[in-house]
Amino acid sequence: MTDNNRREFIKKSTATGAALTFAAAAARNVHAAEDNTIRVGLVGCGGRGTGAAKQSLSVDNGPIKMVALADVFENKLKSTLASLTTDSKLKDKVDIPEERQYVGFDGYKKVMDALEPGDIVILATPAAFRWVHYQYAIERGLNVFMEKPVTIDAPTSARFLEINKAALAKNLKVGVGLMCRHCKARQELFDRIQNGEIGDITMMRAYRMTGPTATAAVEPNTGDLSELEFQIKNFHGFLWLSGGAVSDFLIHNIDESCWMKNAWPVSAIACGGRHYRDGCIDQNFDTYSIEYTFADGAKLFVDGRTVPGCKREFASFAHGTKGSAIISTASHTPAKSKMFSTQIMDDKFETWAYPQPEPNPYQVEWDDLIAAIREDQEYNEVERGVMASAVTSMGRMAAHTGQEITLEEFMKHDHEFAPNVADLTIDGPAPLQANEDGKYSIPMPGLVKNREYL
Amino acid sequence: MIRPILLVGLCAATNVAAQADTPAEIPPVEVPAAVAKTEAEMKPYAEIIEHTDQTIQMVPIPGGEFTMGSPEAEDDRNDDEGPQRTVKIEPFWMGKFEVTWEQYDIWNESVDQRMRKMLSKKKTPRDSAVDGVSKPTEPYTDMSFGMGREDYPAICMTQHAARTYCEWLSAKTGRYYRLPTEAEWEYACRAGTETPYSFGDDVDQLGDYAWFYDNSEDNSQRVGQKKPNPWGLYDMHGNVSEWVLDQYTPYDKLKEALNPLAVPKTLYPRVVRGGGWDDDPEVLRSAARKASDEDWKQQDPQEPKSIWYHTDALSVGFRVVRPLNVPSSEARSTKWDKTEPEQKDPEE
Repeated sequence: MTDNNRREFIKKSTATGAALTFAAAAARNVHAAEDNTIRVGLVGCGGRGTGAAKQSLSVDNGPIKMVALADVFENKLKSTLASLTTDSKLKDKVDIPEERQYVGFDGYKKVMDALEPGDIVILATPAAFRWVHYQYAIERGLNVFMEKPVTIDAPTSARFLEINKAALAKNLKVGVGLMCRHCKARQELFDRIQNGEIGDITMMRAYRMTGPTATAAVEPNTGDLSELEFQIKNFHGFLWLSGGAVSDFLIHNIDESCWMKNAWPVSAIACGGRHYRDGCIDQNFDTYSIEYTFADGAKLFVDGRTVPGCKREFASFAHGTKGSAIISTASHTPAKSKMFSTQIMDDKFETWAYPQPEPNPYQVEWDDLIAAIREDQEYNEVERGVMASAVTSMGRMAAHTGQEITLEEFMKHDHEFAPNVADLTIDGPAPLQANEDGKYSIPMPGLVKNREYL
Repeated sequence: MIRPILLVGLCAATNVAAQADTPAEIPPVEVPAAVAKTEAEMKPYAEIIEHTDQTIQMVPIPGGEFTMGSPEAEDDRNDDEGPQRTVKIEPFWMGKFEVTWEQYDIWNESVDQRMRKMLSKKKTPRDSAVDGVSKPTEPYTDMSFGMGREDYPAICMTQHAARTYCEWLSAKTGRYYRLPTEAEWEYACRAGTETPYSFGDDVDQLGDYAWFYDNSEDNSQRVGQKKPNPWGLYDMHGNVSEWVLDQYTPYDKLKEALNPLAVPKTLYPRVVRGGGWDDDPEVLRSAARKASDEDWKQQDPQEPKSIWYHTDALSVGFRVVRPLNVPSSEARSTKWDKTEPEQKDPEE
């Protein structure tokens, strides 16, 4: 073992438990914290990070404790702390004294330094910082849960796959928050599709057409915050931070569709534009329509829209040579996956439906990760997390440049949105600067073709 | 935080002297049929939502006394429907239909203000007033969950969101709107009847009046398609359960006999009435009560969970009422608009 990994030790000692006397076990050179309590640290105290933290503490298969928090905003950290310490079901599993509450860009290091090999760090900041934080987590020998997306441009996607090799070598357990992959209904549908129950998939459709979503539309900075603070607070509005409305919102439906096809697409073309941008200074389009092509010629059509008052659809569908399937019905859960014998998705033609209710996949992804840690099974979701992120970014890039792009070209692309992300300081310049009018550079399809914005 | 806005039209109509401590005076939108000084003058009217093509149909409900709760002999009765008691209700108007998404989104997504700006129209005093009313944070998902938008009932909102909608509607129109009390709701639902349903006790007729588990095909339905109750209100039974103002409270603890209201002191449980598309017939009875529950936010993946959304309450909506006698700002802050704990979005 390269690391003194407690979980491996536990497994080994239980495997040979019968042969080990207590004295023999005690004679091993084990440090004081050598017990089977998993300690958890959180980097990024937003709504999703705090949700993930609570889900981690809700896994009921052994002792687990939340011990450290980091965020660049003190008020975010404090609200997470309050949320954890006032939760009657979980507060006994929370031990986060003042000295393990870290405010600032370097907080990620301090959280991970407070953990030991075999513990878990949750990476839930905007995606821009993910590769930096992941690299350090591997160095520290930590197991990781990271939120999606994990990358937002090509260079960091390639880099992330490279970084991950060390995690694989160390057998770290790494979960990526594409929770749909852990949904029991979709898993059964996947098996049935792979068994040929709807024939060969020729076309899929994925939609996230909703009203205004999260911080996708951003009004000008009133000046209370530094430019960098302002961008981080409104991270869905800025491509360097989050990949914008495409990466953050459409990734789940794109990923679950590619999963059912059991392949990543090889190219993309896309349309998109801005119509209702009254007073907004973010970089997003209002609408995106992406057409992905797979190696066998099958298509995946993706529609994203954040315009009020229009037709809503938040679902994914697959069409095969022998029938069709609902991958997910509305929002992410419950999926209510179904199959039909025709292309008409009418109950008359239903051949299978997953029985209700379904377990909450946001919890299941945690159950799975922690089970893998306790049982020391290989568990690393990074490659598919990166590919889902890259494929999503490729679609976004096709819309923002107006060009057709292949996955091969995309993965070699050199536009890194925030090359200095590891060195940012809260008072220093933001990677994206406003012009004199307080406006930010936006995509110009057809005019700016080789990068998403100037 | 509810800001008392003095509604001039109402004050004129109800002869309440303007109080010195009230903020900006807001003239109401002109709707002649909405003006009434007495119960006898109350008419049905269509409330206008400026800058949009939407109206909210309002039906006059006469004041009166009724027996609240159900008799012990009623089939499928729950213990919380008793003891029965006599309650006196003052006149009010009630929404003919549940609030639809089309009407809800005007507030929810500022459709009126977007329209106004696109058409380069100047702000009215009411546009300035609605600026001061909070709005839900942008959701991460389509809160209609594929059930249908437009004239399907708005769903999945917390009682706080429904209350805030009423606050917005008051500012938007210059007339005072709120949620019904539990007593007003049952009074209006019964419409003078004492039977389990407002059409009698024959469950076989329920499908003519209501959407529920047996006929809804797992979905809410466009409002106003079934037969109305005797007072002209649609979908009181079924389609979506409707928020009322009250804390869910055992009846034997309630002493108020005139316009009773159990002012909420805790977030859960509060009350919805009338049953929804996923309920069985007995839940649609006039007297049946349903309590809100933390599980209604189960799939919200954010922490703290949103104060605006019940991600798992797909059959919960609401309708609005407007009392004839507009309460003073003191009565509003101590009773009608009062609720604890205060609902605040986390600091950004």
